[in-house]
Amino acid sequence: MDQLDILKQNWQSQTTDAPRFTKDQLGGLLAKRSSSIVKWLFIIAIIEFAFFIVLGMASHLHNQSSNIDVIGQMGNVFYYGSSLLHYVVIFIFIYLFYQNYKNISTSQPTRSLMDAILKTRRTMKWYIWYNLTYMMVVGMIATVIVIPQDPKIIELMASPKMAGHETAFYLIVLGASFVVFLIICVIMYLIYLLIYGILLRKLKRNYHELKRMEV
Amino acid sequence: MSKELEEEFVKQLDENQNIVHKICRLYTNDQHAHNDLFQEVTVQLWRAYPKFRGDAKFSTWMYRVALNTAITLYRKSTRRVKTQDYESVQFKIEDRQEEDEQMEQLTLLYGAVKQLNDIEKALVFLYLEDKNYREISETMGISEVNARVKMNRIKTKLTNIINP
Repeated sequence: MDQLDILKQNWQSQTTDAPRFTKDQLGGLLAKRSSSIVKWLFIIAIIEFAFFIVLGMASHLHNQSSNIDVIGQMGNVFYYGSSLLHYVVIFIFIYLFYQNYKNISTSQPTRSLMDAILKTRRTMKWYIWYNLTYMMVVGMIATVIVIPQDPKIIELMASPKMAGHETAFYLIVLGASFVVFLIICVIMYLIYLLIYGILLRKLKRNYHELKRMEV
Repeated sequence: MSKELEEEFVKQLDENQNIVHKICRLYTNDQHAHNDLFQEVTVQLWRAYPKFRGDAKFSTWMYRVALNTAITLYRKSTRRVKTQDYESVQFKIEDRQEEDEQMEQLTLLYGAVKQLNDIEKALVFLYLEDKNYREISETMGISEVNARVKMNRIKTKLTNIINP
């Protein structure tokens, strides 16, 4: 007989140091809040959705009150069209998140539960990348269209010093905005790594352990 | 949720609470963490309960939800791993007629099981609860063959922990 079977023979008669809960105590536990990673995943997702929606709205308000006629320069169709598309995509992400979130059930096998959680987290990762890409593309287009119309830039360009250097100037502006975008991406990525890293460290370790069994 | 449903749930949980205690004992190292995990398991069971409604045995369903909570959803246990106290490692049984020597062996074995990782503990737990490989594979979501192979490896690992 192997050793585990010795433990098995005595397993059912084991007692714990923990006192048994009375029915009243058990009833009381039902009202307690969950502190599970799924709850945190949900809270983080809500913050992410809210963050980019608010950011988008703030940018609209800013454009409307801006000295330069941003909307006019970019053209109504392009400006409102891209905004509409943006919100439709965000709505699709919210729907996908909700679908994935609904599939997280503790009654399913461990492996599928882990898959469901990781899938939900991947949706949020794509959501962030979508938003960053959108910001970059729209930002670049706006830079190219709007900056040459800025009165201060026109004034600067008219000065003799800038003669012949216009293209170089715009390239530098574009390059600089690209670098700023990259820095934002890296910061976002690090924040992400930290938040989800802490939250899902245990899950990932156990997920790899389960996957390792299949080899 | 209705009062009757709650009463029904509490009754079944009360009858089976020993299962949850055994899992908590295996995955935590002190009383505080034990109660914390017990609470989280209870909350998760209660949440999943409306969807349960008798398509499996309550205890079978409970194994799944409780182990999933301990392995996947519960986050605090990892912080406490290093403060393992002696009490939690000692294996305790109801009647004390067992000989000291056997008690010592059981404690040693239990201590070795506690050193396994989360997934290995789950497999061992189900094995000790006398679940067959089909049930183990269904609970974990792995194939029966893999469960069997893994179990054999765990047995070797346990022997190595006990006789280094």
